[in-house]
Amino acid sequence: MKRGELLGSLEHIILLALARLDDGAHGMIVRREIEERTGRNISIGAVYATLERLEAKGYVSSFTGEPTPQRGGRAKRLFRVEAAGKRALQVSEQTIRSMKGGLKDRWRTI
Amino acid sequence: MRPSSPPTFACWLLESVLPDPYREAILGDLIEEFALRIEPASSFAASRWFWSQACRSVPSMIWCSIRSRDCLISMSIAMGVYISMSTLKLAADWMISKLVSPDPTMQVILAPIVFLTAAAIAGCVAARIRRGATIFLALMVTITVAVSIELKVCRIPVPWWYEFGFLTLGPLTVIITPRLFERLKQRRLKQQRAVT
Repeated sequence: MKRGELLGSLEHIILLALARLDDGAHGMIVRREIEERTGRNISIGAVYATLERLEAKGYVSSFTGEPTPQRGGRAKRLFRVEAAGKRALQVSEQTIRSMKGGLKDRWRTI
Repeated sequence: MRPSSPPTFACWLLESVLPDPYREAILGDLIEEFALRIEPASSFAASRWFWSQACRSVPSMIWCSIRSRDCLISMSIAMGVYISMSTLKLAADWMISKLVSPDPTMQVILAPIVFLTAAAIAGCVAARIRRGATIFLALMVTITVAVSIELKVCRIPVPWWYEFGFLTLGPLTVIITPRLFERLKQRRLKQQRAVT
């Protein structure tokens, strides 16, 4: 696995949140999903900065939605997970699983 | 600020600082969430949430913009505008000292007018090319004025508030003038639409 393919913790969480949501979730929905599931109150800026990084890596793609009056006439930016993103999630899960292997017994003794 | 609208200054801060591709998306998301929060909570709690999101989002987005080199483009535009406006200001200063009034007291009176006019024009030009460039331009103006005060460039003794005025009004003019023009333009467009 190349170094760039490793996911950072926030990248991992955001990719998982996007995978949980339907196709085309915007930043605030992702932020809310993370807050509800993990209790972590992250900023919308951090979410978009991470999504931008994931898009540059080809793990997610984005498209612009229609502007609505509820948003002050501003358009949504919707994101969806790409095949490369799903692969990166699998690799990350495998890496964590293999690193955790055999640790259960040790943790019991600590 | 209307009770149901998000904090104006926080919106302005985000509009000035956020890089182009994410400005609309982030502001729209925050406005939408603010409207949802204002119903169950008080407007104060919703405004506090908006402010906390705005303040915490700015560093992440600035870092993101530096990584994507968006920041460098804005900085280069600000530098270009700053150099051209400084040249124009120097020419105006020279003309005033030689042609209009060689009297030093008169120069002290005219200097802030020339400076603020140059700052207003520079702010409008920078904002027209790229909105994010005005922040860098304001920073450059602040640094230049602070250095000039420290090095005592002005040979004529002036009170402290005179220098303080340059230090505060200069950057503020750079930032506020393009916003004022934008507001006027929007109001005029609305009036035209109402007439038609």
